Amino acid sequence: MKAKLNRETVVRSKLLWAVIAELLILLVGFIMRPDFLSVQLMTLADGSRVLFGTPIDILNRSAEITIIAMGMTLVIALGGTDLSVGALVAVSGAMALKFLRWDVLEYPTPGDYTVMPYFLVILVPLAVCTLMGAFNGLLISKLGMQPIIATLILMVAGRGIAQITTNGKQFTTMYTPFQQIAQGYFLKLPMPIIITAVVILGVALFTRKTSYGMFVESVGVNPNASRVSGLQSSRIILIAFMITGFLSGISGLIYSSRISSCDSNNAGINNEMNAILAVVIGGTSMSGGKFSLTGTVIGSLIIQTIVTLVYFFGVVSEAIMAFEAMIIAVVIVLQSEPVRKFFASRKRSRASATGGAVRA
Amino acid sequence: MKRLLTLALVLCMVVGVASAEVTIAFSQIGQESDWRTANTDSVKKAIEAEGWNYVYDDAQQKQENQVKALRNFISQNVDYILFTGVVSTGWDEVLKEVNEAEIPLILLDRMPDNMDDIEYAAAFGGDFVEEGRRMAIWTKNYVEKLGRSDEELNVVILEGTTGADAATGRQNGIMEILKDTPNLKVIASQTGNFTRAEGQAVMESFLKAHDKIDVLLAHNDDMALGAIESIKAAGKVPGKDIIIVGCDSPKTAFDAIIAGEMNATIECTPLYGPFVVDALKRLMAGEDLGRELIHPEESCFDAEGGIVFTLDGKLSEKAADKIGERQY
Repeated sequence: MKAKLNRETVVRSKLLWAVIAELLILLVGFIMRPDFLSVQLMTLADGSRVLFGTPIDILNRSAEITIIAMGMTLVIALGGTDLSVGALVAVSGAMALKFLRWDVLEYPTPGDYTVMPYFLVILVPLAVCTLMGAFNGLLISKLGMQPIIATLILMVAGRGIAQITTNGKQFTTMYTPFQQIAQGYFLKLPMPIIITAVVILGVALFTRKTSYGMFVESVGVNPNASRVSGLQSSRIILIAFMITGFLSGISGLIYSSRISSCDSNNAGINNEMNAILAVVIGGTSMSGGKFSLTGTVIGSLIIQTIVTLVYFFGVVSEAIMAFEAMIIAVVIVLQSEPVRKFFASRKRSRASATGGAVRA
Repeated sequence: MKRLLTLALVLCMVVGVASAEVTIAFSQIGQESDWRTANTDSVKKAIEAEGWNYVYDDAQQKQENQVKALRNFISQNVDYILFTGVVSTGWDEVLKEVNEAEIPLILLDRMPDNMDDIEYAAAFGGDFVEEGRRMAIWTKNYVEKLGRSDEELNVVILEGTTGADAATGRQNGIMEILKDTPNLKVIASQTGNFTRAEGQAVMESFLKAHDKIDVLLAHNDDMALGAIESIKAAGKVPGKDIIIVGCDSPKTAFDAIIAGEMNATIECTPLYGPFVVDALKRLMAGEDLGRELIHPEESCFDAEGGIVFTLDGKLSEKAADKIGERQY
């Protein structure tokens, strides 16, 4: 009777609960004010027409966390975590702005110019973040350090590096192509939504169309058994951290582009926690193994929906954190094993009462 | 014998130099904005110009980091501690430790709560309540100048970090004036954490939740600058459709005012260096600076100047005339 749920069904049912939670939050918003979910076409100053509304904001603002959480999903599926992502966001932004302005004394006024070629403005931050990801990966796979400890190094040092890059200054830029990264539109949608979609697709294809995803799950379940059966776990771990570093870099470019500036102390703050939360809400277990990219996307949307809801309904500033924590707590409790078992057994008893078929 | 004498002499010199050297330690919040950076730079430059030893700690906006830094300063036995607290509460214990170590404490920019039992040598800071008042007074007079005093205007406020002195003070100041200004009605007020990114995100939601927003008062210019992007993205013209008033007055705000995207900024000077050094010298000479908060002289900048922004009738200055002098 009480067949032990296998990992796959656990992930799936957690995913289901995450979707239900997201829909419930949206529903609450909709009941309180129907225009919470309204989307309309709006004309911008330059005459272009774009989609406008809170649902668009939620998708737009969740971009940074969703992108990082894609990498974090792989890292967590391997049984690790990456605490350095938030700091890498700051590094990426600082590098980009450094290349755009180089020196605020030589170029005192922010304007529509870039000092270094634009491809370097984009490539160098991404390359540096990928290298930093590789650094994390090597510490873990080659030196056998605990992921939390290994990534803690860059979590602390990263912000320092970001500050050194710009001499502790906040550079501002008006360079249009850079501003377009986050403030531009494509297909009537804010650019970050498009970038996020591309990243999700890229990671999904890479993990599901190659055997990499399966290797990750295998190493996550049992690294030793995987190694003995011929998997190069160290390379698999290294790649996961490099991907996470690279994606943090993208996230950093989006953050800086949004504010046309770098902000080494606030860029990516708490991103590591939010990304881990998104992954966990999405159904991927912290102990590694099966992972769900869809779940992570939903998890990230839940987090952003709560934040946007708070802004939209004007929850008093002092209560914001408590309010957010409360909703997250409810979501996590709903996903916990006893609660899920309780609902499963009710469903089962109801199903057996009506003589329906039951899935284990 | 000669060698011993030389040794003694060298020792004396070392001890002598060590005791003559003054060490000033500064526990700063972090690099939250251009204002903060200018503040940090100004203090650093002024102290180093005196040839004093300077120890600096960047807390990255975390109270626990600051508590740690203060304890480090105590164990290093520095001569003076400069301190700006990231939030206003929760400092009692560590500041008592500073008192017990008998290191003179100089409070900069933000005054923590519950200071009754804490000894400090001097306290410098902007008058946040007055800055809030000025934001509201300027807005009221500007609206009058536009001939829109009879219209009911909807005001939204972007607050600073919840619990920070600057946020609480400015909010109180704004509310104090607005409660007697029935044509300016506050319809939403929320924290944007003093950062551009959050100011932008919160304003974005305000614009969805409220059809008519006429005035934005931001507790700092960074949030106002972030909000300007959101206003543009909502198809509105910042500075015209929505009157935007910020606080702090960094160069970036001047640029925005000159570009017509922002209307005014109330000054809150970060250049503490010179008067901190002056205070340190007076303290070293044994003078008592008292417990009263010492306020710097501050102004207000807008596109054309000439708008009354204080209760005693001070006139605002033209941003374009002053941008050349801005160092931050």
